Amino acid sequence: MARHILKMNNLMKTYILGTRKNAKKAQKAIQKLQKKYERQVTKKDAAAATTEAVLKRAQSLFASEKYEQSYQTITGQVLKKRSKDRGAVVHALRGVDLEIKQGELVAIMGPSGSGKSTLLNMLGLLDQPTAGQIFINAKNVASIKKRDLPDIRSNQLGFVFQSFNLVPTLTALENVMLPLKYAGIHLRKRRAMAKQALEQVGLGDRLHHNPGELSGGQQQRVAIARSVVNSPAIIFGDELTGELDSQMTADVMKLVVKLNRGGQTFVIVTHNPEVAKVCRRIIYMRDGKIEKEFNKVTVR
Amino acid sequence: MREILKNMFRRKTRSLLTIFGITIGIFAFTVMGSMAEKINLLVSGGSDYYADKVTVNQGDSLFLSGPMDINKAKEIEQVDGVRAVSASVYTTLSESFDAISFGPPASISGEQLKNRPLESFKISYSQGRQIQEDDKGKVVVGADLVKKLGAKLGSDIKIRGKDYEVVGIMNKTLTAPDSTVIMTLPDAQKIYYGELPEIVQSQTRADKIVNGFTVYPDPGVNPDKLAEKINDRVADIKASGPKAFQDQIANATGIFNAILFGVALISLLVGGLSVINTMTMSISERTREIGIKKALGAKTRNILAEYLTEAGLIGLFGGLLGWGLGALTVLIVNRAMEDSGNIIFLLSARISIFAVLFAVILGIIAGFYPAYHAVKINIVKALRQE
Repeated sequence: MARHILKMNNLMKTYILGTRKNAKKAQKAIQKLQKKYERQVTKKDAAAATTEAVLKRAQSLFASEKYEQSYQTITGQVLKKRSKDRGAVVHALRGVDLEIKQGELVAIMGPSGSGKSTLLNMLGLLDQPTAGQIFINAKNVASIKKRDLPDIRSNQLGFVFQSFNLVPTLTALENVMLPLKYAGIHLRKRRAMAKQALEQVGLGDRLHHNPGELSGGQQQRVAIARSVVNSPAIIFGDELTGELDSQMTADVMKLVVKLNRGGQTFVIVTHNPEVAKVCRRIIYMRDGKIEKEFNKVTVR
Repeated sequence: MREILKNMFRRKTRSLLTIFGITIGIFAFTVMGSMAEKINLLVSGGSDYYADKVTVNQGDSLFLSGPMDINKAKEIEQVDGVRAVSASVYTTLSESFDAISFGPPASISGEQLKNRPLESFKISYSQGRQIQEDDKGKVVVGADLVKKLGAKLGSDIKIRGKDYEVVGIMNKTLTAPDSTVIMTLPDAQKIYYGELPEIVQSQTRADKIVNGFTVYPDPGVNPDKLAEKINDRVADIKASGPKAFQDQIANATGIFNAILFGVALISLLVGGLSVINTMTMSISERTREIGIKKALGAKTRNILAEYLTEAGLIGLFGGLLGWGLGALTVLIVNRAMEDSGNIIFLLSARISIFAVLFAVILGIIAGFYPAYHAVKINIVKALRQE
């Protein structure tokens, strides 16, 4: 019974924090679990009240309008980050306001030390601001318990890093399966989903290759497949073409644009103007602040 | 699991050395534990044997006794609280002591059988039967001596140059009777008489001389108190109750248990430290990887489980290998010693299970600190690491 409650709670989290697709899946799973539970309820009366309360809460939340209104946005308000580097105080962010909406393809540019990566890490919930607030779907991240952050990262967010950051002992398929594993998806299902994601990035024939057996471009495509496999609300790319030559950069960005056209939100930190050129919105940062911003919807 | 195994053998030499460190500890634990197990069983058998009776010897030792007149039994019987007395002869199987003996040496025992129904220490027989009063020239052989003496039911074996017919073979008791040949008291007396110096022989007869008495107390009589009473009333003998056995022998097993504990402690230290070292190195090499996994949504329990499983597997492999080598050693040594009837080790199921479990738990406990360190890794710093 305790296991059911735990499972129910996890499903609720997916429902509350997940994408629309995940939330629907979660609702179905909740209903299935409810039926299963009803069969057992007579035997386990002691836990009935708790479980019913959980179910009611899940159903009321699903029926609430809040979900419909807060539509896949990430908002940062007056974000500041102060840290110490060898005793000296560094102001990585000095009050950044921005909102990323679903379907956007955003490039963050700026010189080294301007705070691009710090901002990306905060929006990706990898780092915490010294001051300011971040909202995901109108939910203040500060109100989310620390232990729930991994669930949000595995269900809601995707990451692509400069140096691919694939686990070297795992095959391409296993690397792509990782976020699904942490999201608690069943092995058979996550294998199918990972395979589909790899096919989507054109690596259907490299499923069982280790990262060492793949080219830089292929490794980055595996990383992109890994970031999209859990249908995240936003994918964060930190210099995702930084280690690729121009041809590979073009290939990878072609893939990013293709995914973005399918509705996938991207926030990309880059030094490369060629990368920024394909983005609809470009944010320039300097000294921990947003210096200027362009919206190039028409260029797309 | 495949990933954990792959990670474990990323640095083959380092992992194998760690496993080997645990192997040595568990090997020592298995061998020492088997030895302690054998001793504990011997002692436990002895404790059971001496629990409800008084043994009477000539001299202070509980086991080595000088000659006594068989008529001393009558004096002992007069003591209040004595139910019955059986005279006995106990001597070594060979004319001289074996060079090395583990536990009681191979022995000959002969006892008056009239009080056999009072004996609480029961012996069963794998073949044949127990010795009878009129079994002159016949013997019953302990399980560990069968090979040494080439004993077969109905055939003769040679003891001290004389042939005796084997009428029974005892089941293994895991204690003293396993290395004992039981014969009638008169036969044992003849052997014992032959060992005595001529000057003693000239003053007595073989049928008059024994070197021990077993005293069965009346119901409800404390054997230790009865032993004191016998010592007060009967001269030139030494009566001992169960407490004397505990004092002389059973307490000495504490030393073996302390050795076992010491071996366990050393293996804990050596194995534990090498697991901590290996896992810490491994985690510091994989900091970036841990950062990636955490960024992808790995929870504390995912990271902990991964590294504790790896540490536990190192323990398991080391444990299984150490236990395997230990079991092989026990088997080979016991097989080699079988001919001499001197079995040193007893590898019990509980020692085996404990050895392997101990290694796994050791690995997990030792892996906890590095795994906890992995959990605490800052994602941003980890991702920046080259």
